[in-house]
Amino acid sequence: MPLRRNGLKIGDIEDRPDGGMGSTMVRGSGEGPHTIDWRRSLAARNARTRGRRHHPVFRIRDELSPRWRMSLTLVGLVVPLLIWLFMATSGSATVLVPSPGAALESIGRMWNDGTLTGDVWASFRRILIGYAISMAIAVVLGVLMGSFRSAESFLEAPIAFMRYVPATALVPLMLFWLGIDETPKIALIVIGSVFFNVLMVADVVRNVPKELISAAYTLGAGRLRVLRQVILPHSTPGIIDVARINLAAAWAILVVAELLAAEEGLAFRIVRAQRFRQIDDMFAILIIFGIIGVATDLSLRWFRNRAAPWARP
Amino acid sequence: MAAQTIIVRPEKLEVRGLVKRYPGRRSRPGTLAVDGIDLTVRAGELVCIVGASGCGKSTLLNIIGGLEEPTEGAATVDGHRVVGPGPDRGMVFQGYSLFPWQTVRENVEFGLKAAGVPKSRRPARVDALLTVMGLGVWADQLPRALSGGMRQRVAIARALAPEPDVLLLDEPFGALDAQTKRAMQDHLLEVWRRTRATVVMVTHDVEEAIYLSSRVYVLSSHPGRVAAEVPVPFPDDRTPRIKRTPEFGELVEQVEAILIDNR
Repeated sequence: MPLRRNGLKIGDIEDRPDGGMGSTMVRGSGEGPHTIDWRRSLAARNARTRGRRHHPVFRIRDELSPRWRMSLTLVGLVVPLLIWLFMATSGSATVLVPSPGAALESIGRMWNDGTLTGDVWASFRRILIGYAISMAIAVVLGVLMGSFRSAESFLEAPIAFMRYVPATALVPLMLFWLGIDETPKIALIVIGSVFFNVLMVADVVRNVPKELISAAYTLGAGRLRVLRQVILPHSTPGIIDVARINLAAAWAILVVAELLAAEEGLAFRIVRAQRFRQIDDMFAILIIFGIIGVATDLSLRWFRNRAAPWARP
Repeated sequence: MAAQTIIVRPEKLEVRGLVKRYPGRRSRPGTLAVDGIDLTVRAGELVCIVGASGCGKSTLLNIIGGLEEPTEGAATVDGHRVVGPGPDRGMVFQGYSLFPWQTVRENVEFGLKAAGVPKSRRPARVDALLTVMGLGVWADQLPRALSGGMRQRVAIARALAPEPDVLLLDEPFGALDAQTKRAMQDHLLEVWRRTRATVVMVTHDVEEAIYLSSRVYVLSSHPGRVAAEVPVPFPDDRTPRIKRTPEFGELVEQVEAILIDNR
């Protein structure tokens, strides 16, 4: 049928009241008084084409060819590098910026003398232990809060309160209570991230469709089975995403803890570099932070897709 | 068919004086969703409950399923009062109720696991159900790979797996396109004839209700009450052809008139 081929619908057809057989008109294609749609602007009607299609780069929520995506990603990496190069070479006396080459050289030197591995491991270990504890607490409390209104009523207020107490403000207290070894640093990572994690995990759990829970109950599942075989699997990808998003907050609090008291660690190394005016080293550590961040982010994404292929976009 | 035996079938499901009132918030008054519904379903019957949207028909089904609590009255299955959900009352929802992380097979298996059926005995029962529902080739697919009609077949197979006394269907074909819907109706009839399950189905589609059931309960809206109980005089082994008979058309008109009068 030519009607459909032309992208028209039945509603576009009008019967002319004066006509008989064959006088059906299609809206917008003739000159008669019944067929002119006055809402359309004159210019649009006089154009040789109908509608407007923008370049893919400027379309809202449309697919982009891999070539365009790759090129734009490349531009996004090259532009900051160029800005850095410009700042390094333009040579201001007050703001000293090392060249990218000098920063890389510095990374190489720290790698060779072994401090880099030691520092990365020291910091990463604190994050690993602290954040694992934080996520374990968050999963238990978050699942309870997202599943039981009673747990929600009971826990919401104290957690909301603690979430607004800046973890950095607890650094002196933790050092006072727990000394200056590993314990206060790990405790700070837990405190700095756990309240965010709990509330966000609870939100993920609340998003489990009610139908799935109802279906499980009518299939004979008890509450424990519903929790373990419906709520947990459905929440798994969301919980991994929560862990991924709040990990940055854990690093931030670790840095503060290391700045004040540590003999090893990436943030400790920055303070030391500052003391000896080694700007190359400071930049090198910042780059290492970024690399670790991106690497953990990517691996958590990979893990999420691996653990829950059904939820892959 | 020669000499039909008349079997007096016992009442499987009874609903007596069911009232459901949702409490209001602050100064707003509550809503009376269901106001004094009585109904009876005998063993092996397929009964439809038809009503406009918002007439409380899903609430009624949820109460029978044990997912909601009645304000007054009760539903009983084999004389036992319903106080919560259980595998004796399988439910199929409008859609999106399959576990998306489980394959078709695992979804159907869910109720068997919950019932403690040993692992060695599960595959045979799952396979039998998958064959009945025409899902054999899809057994190891995730729900997202399936069309809407296929997903609802899985949902029906899954609800049938624990061998429920009553199968409750809440607008199971409401989200399907017209062709798929018709195919699913015939499929449901065939499964019902084979399994002789007791089925209660809620729908807003009058034609669907009459085509499928042996009796139709017509509900009024705001609040939901039984406006009429209409017997359907077609044989169990009906085919889509009956939809074109004048009797069928008259019955549809009659039920639609009741619905309009009780809006």
